[in-house]
Amino acid sequence: MMTPDLLAALAKAAGLDKALAAFPEDVAAAAAQALATAGAIAVPKDPAAEPWPPMRPGVGL
Amino acid sequence: MSAAPHWLTAAEATRAFAARTLSPVELLDALLDRIALLQPKLHAFIQLDAEAARDAARAAEHEIMAGRVRGPLHGVPVGVKDIIDVAGLPTTCHSRILLDNVAGADAAVIARLRQAGAIVLGKLATHEFAIGGPSFDLPFPPARNPWNPAHHPGGSSSGSGAGVAAGMFPVALGSDTGGSVRNPASCCGIVGLKPTYGLVSRRGVFPLSYTLDHVGPLTRSVADAALMLDAIAGHDPADPGSAPSLARLFGRDLDRGVRDLRIGFVRHFHETDLPAHPETTAALTEAARALQAAGAELRDVTLPSLNEFAGVNRVILTSEAWSIHAPWLRDRPEKYGQLARRRLLPGAFIGAGEYVGAQRRRAQMIAAVEEAFREVDVLLCASSMDPASRIDDAEETARTYPRQARTPFNVTGHPALAMMAGLSSGGLPLSVQFVGRYFADATVLRVAAAYERATGWHERHPPIG
Repeated sequence: MMTPDLLAALAKAAGLDKALAAFPEDVAAAAAQALATAGAIAVPKDPAAEPWPPMRPGVGL
Repeated sequence: MSAAPHWLTAAEATRAFAARTLSPVELLDALLDRIALLQPKLHAFIQLDAEAARDAARAAEHEIMAGRVRGPLHGVPVGVKDIIDVAGLPTTCHSRILLDNVAGADAAVIARLRQAGAIVLGKLATHEFAIGGPSFDLPFPPARNPWNPAHHPGGSSSGSGAGVAAGMFPVALGSDTGGSVRNPASCCGIVGLKPTYGLVSRRGVFPLSYTLDHVGPLTRSVADAALMLDAIAGHDPADPGSAPSLARLFGRDLDRGVRDLRIGFVRHFHETDLPAHPETTAALTEAARALQAAGAELRDVTLPSLNEFAGVNRVILTSEAWSIHAPWLRDRPEKYGQLARRRLLPGAFIGAGEYVGAQRRRAQMIAAVEEAFREVDVLLCASSMDPASRIDDAEETARTYPRQARTPFNVTGHPALAMMAGLSSGGLPLSVQFVGRYFADATVLRVAAAYERATGWHERHPPIG
């Protein structure tokens, strides 16, 4: 759960001053969703588990 | 051949052109009449380009009569989701932010469709930026479901689904980042194909999430989905995600049946992860039975849970979308509709570690699906867990929209096709989904064609018009 002060600080750090002033409920809902979503993922414990897609030099450019 | 020209599939239309029983101009006129009748009820179009379509139909008619057939879609009108560039037309993304954004060039998929002879009919309604909808606070009204216009048609390729199902055009293009081709296909009772990631170029398509975005066709038959994929697939050096695959003739196996195929039934998606509406469960059970009766071997398959697939999809999608939309969300948040604003803003609150963590978990999920494909050739699973809700019931729409099994295959990039699997007691389409190995899009289409033949749901049309 995010406190209103923390929410405001994070929103301003992201440059969302206008959104925070005009749509505070939308900003609060977005922050709550971000917290809930990220918490649903079982991030691999193995430090060697690399992200997808892998770095592929020379491909796709 | 179906009785009315507006119900012809693209394949049927081109056969009729070749037999001189119908001309491209006659087909276009029939569709324009149909559009005039239904657009006020369904709002499938943002911009109809009738004059350019007439010019193209006349040219196609002249060329076909002279024996110069440009390609397999010559003279076939196609609708285009309004996040895909068509030279000279605005790409608004159904948003106030891009109302004056006139495309200077065709997207790669449009260029390929024109090369195949298709006629661009106009730009179609979408959820705002392919994420915010159905919404009533945007510059254009939301598309509606032709089976019952009081209900939503799915999205985000909402105009594509509504228009194809209603007989306004035989085929359309959509995009799919979390299921946005397959959702309208499911809600509107048609065929929607998300090809293998990288098979179809995204150049000239407004991005939502770079590593999840796909472009795909919506059609009224499996054969038309194969025809469309033949036209739009192929390597594009200008798309960094484009695959080197040169596969063609995606309809080559449509008549082979399923006798030698092993089909993995992902029951836990709809039985325990997100328990489906009983009519959806019954339709999926019947789909499995029909394929078994056609000779397929059926096995149960277990994959990571839908909840976790959805979480990975959402973290990646909102993070990548934030990198695209941050400047506008900072400077003019009031220009977005509320749903798009709420769905895009979470990216501002997701940390770098969470994004990379999601991509790392994604690699494991891909490995899990690949492992399943060592034992089976195709997966069978749910698409939507429920029939489409009323479009004016925001609460029910918010509850049912995430109850789906499409996002797993945006996370993994496997080819996935959704199609009609019955009608609910309320007269709304039910759906099934088939998923294949990477670049085995032809096998997905093969299974879908066998299912289509076994059930005949594609012959049912919405009671509208």
